[in-house]
Amino acid sequence: MSFNGYKDLIVEGESVILYLTINQFYILEAKTTTLSKKGVVVQNIFQTPYGSLACGDLIGKKYGTKIQLKKGWAYILQPTPEFWTELLPHRTQIIYTPDISMILLCLELKPTSIVIESGTGSGSLSHAIIRKIKPSGHLYTFDFHETRVDIARNEFKEHGLSQYVTVQTRDVCTDGFGKDLEGKADSVFLDLPQPWLAATFTSQVFKRGGGRLCSFSPCVEQVQKMCSALTNLGYQEIQTMEVLQSQFAIQKKKMSILNLDMLKTSNNKETVKNEKEFSNFITSVAPNTLPGHTGYLTLLLFHQHM
Amino acid sequence: MEETIKVGDYIIVQRQNYTKLHKLKGHGTILLGSFNIEMDNCIGERYFDTFQIKNVPNSKRNYTLEKIENLSLVSSNLNVEESGNDNRNIEADDNNQTMSSEEINKMKDEELSSNNIVEKLISNSKTFSTKTGFSQEKYIKKKSKKYCEYIQIRRPSIRLMAQMFYRQDPAKILGIRIDDLSQILTYSNIQSEGTHVLYDSGTSGLMSAALMETIGPNTTGKLIHMHPGNECQKVAFLAMEYPEEQRKRCINVNLYSVLRQFYQGNPGEGDSIEPNEQSSNAENQVTEEPDAKRRKVERPNWQVDNEEACELLKKGVHSIVITAKEHPVNIVDALEPFLLPSRNLVVFSTFKEPLEELYFHLKTKLNYLAVKLSTNFMRNYQVLPERTHPEVNMTNGGYLLTGIKIEQ
Ligand SMILES: C[S@@+](CC[C@H](N)C(=O)[O-])C[C@H]1O[C@@H](n2cnc3c(N)ncnc32)[C@H](O)[C@@H]1O
Repeated sequence: MSFNGYKDLIVEGESVILYLTINQFYILEAKTTTLSKKGVVVQNIFQTPYGSLACGDLIGKKYGTKIQLKKGWAYILQPTPEFWTELLPHRTQIIYTPDISMILLCLELKPTSIVIESGTGSGSLSHAIIRKIKPSGHLYTFDFHETRVDIARNEFKEHGLSQYVTVQTRDVCTDGFGKDLEGKADSVFLDLPQPWLAATFTSQVFKRGGGRLCSFSPCVEQVQKMCSALTNLGYQEIQTMEVLQSQFAIQKKKMSILNLDMLKTSNNKETVKNEKEFSNFITSVAPNTLPGHTGYLTLLLFHQHM
Repeated sequence: MEETIKVGDYIIVQRQNYTKLHKLKGHGTILLGSFNIEMDNCIGERYFDTFQIKNVPNSKRNYTLEKIENLSLVSSNLNVEESGNDNRNIEADDNNQTMSSEEINKMKDEELSSNNIVEKLISNSKTFSTKTGFSQEKYIKKKSKKYCEYIQIRRPSIRLMAQMFYRQDPAKILGIRIDDLSQILTYSNIQSEGTHVLYDSGTSGLMSAALMETIGPNTTGKLIHMHPGNECQKVAFLAMEYPEEQRKRCINVNLYSVLRQFYQGNPGEGDSIEPNEQSSNAENQVTEEPDAKRRKVERPNWQVDNEEACELLKKGVHSIVITAKEHPVNIVDALEPFLLPSRNLVVFSTFKEPLEELYFHLKTKLNYLAVKLSTNFMRNYQVLPERTHPEVNMTNGGYLLTGIKIEQ
């Protein structure tokens, strides 16, 4: 249940973020027991660099508080879609938060929106869409890969999000989005290798009056093909963009100041050595390597008069 | 959503890439570039309709709208024949156009559609046919921009307004670019429920509008919108025309006044005048006339709002967003005690340095983890067959600091 709304206390079975440091955080389930690989019921123990944790002990604890591990402290946090994007088990390439943010805003999603997504992939984007459209909206998400569909459906259930999402196995490039969704959607999102094949089915799904579409593609050739396909289908206001985020390492630095004026006069050689001066300053350093490309976002409007 | 354009609606008027927010009045006009346009003819028509700007007979500067029924006339591409292989024979001089500006103006007065004007310009240009296809297209774009006289009427959305304000003048929204806004909304983890705090020192109402859209209609979420002036900026908020029940869940309070109320309780008798610590920016303000008679019996509105906000603050809040002109450290110090553990703080600034200071402040004095400072690179692309490339101009965004509150 832990992805739905804001919770104070950890309830049995919920997913919990265990946060040690900025690079060490994990997601685990607050359950006393779990099934071993052999299918035997065993105690649910989570191994961390600071020692092991009996996950059942977390039940009833308050989110945002500190817990003691053998070799240090950890914090327990309520999961968010952003944490999930960083921690989910990858079944596919996924979309990350800077692109996700732009997608949500440019599709103009709100707590009443009906959204169609394909493919579901690893459900990274889906979690963020659901946060934005609940409680009155709904996400219909499609993938033609049966196992991915099953895993995603199960994750939504464990995360307490099932009521806001319908996951279906379907090849949207050959079969479209189904009769039931015709005239239902406010927005459509595509992350497919050949989105232009699915595009032909998109114009039927929008509510009367139209809606917005976004397509995410890593390659520029895909974007070109998609843009001409969509223009032919009557889409308007094509906008293609890319968003890249860089994070800074903020550091306090100290720089010694050389006193060279002293050299102009012949006396007091000693003071030159002793009087070291420093300049202290704060600076932010961009990382040596940073994301240089994720994908192109193409946004369009589909409009027809009622 | 109602499709018909009505008097009283906030509309976005779009002319080529330029957009302007406008409140539609009966017999009102709007100034678009050099056009002073009477808007009455769009009333009763539908959103997304396209109108031609037509000169009012016998008046130089006044224009009126005429609905375009056949859109294909507008968007039909001009047919261009003959293009040169390269630009080697073209001299950069202004005499390539054989029509005089008087002739061009006369043509405009004769109500030719802009495509016709551009076609005339082309046939009277000595060099057009020697230009390459690429430069021909550029020429057409440039000229149709100058002479394009069509507008489209749109309903405001957060996306359209964010782009509009940024294009008009980033200062109107403290330099918050659309990608910055999008990330403020995700990193704050704001949802349709809970209580949220915004301190905004002036984004023309865009921030409160965007957060209230995320909170949504018929939900339980509330926003305490703190501002530094007597009245908050709210054009963008009003333009979204949220239903009353949703509007009411945005509680607008003065930062000083609500904090004083929180720590010192209700102001005493005869003391009930809105504190005036900082005079607000005069732009975009709707001042409420204080009703002298009612004031004596009932508490003034601002005080009711303060009390409601204080009640919510006592219970703790589920996100804090700060988009401030002022230095963020003291603002964070004043507001963050209300933030519940495991909840997110997001601070935007056009400058990096104040956020660097805030970073160390959060790390050393306060209880936050996952504190991050980031910025974005955003690029738009022209996508056309054989002519796909990044757009020639780029913009700058600002900086975001995010962190998660913990309890020691
Ligand atoms: C890159 S992944 C999507 C990742 C997802 N956006 C996320 O953030 O986790 C692409 C998915 O599309 C699915 N897919 C590819 N072609 C498809 C088709 N024709 N119909 C349905 N799904 C398809 C693949 O199985 C894959 O899971």
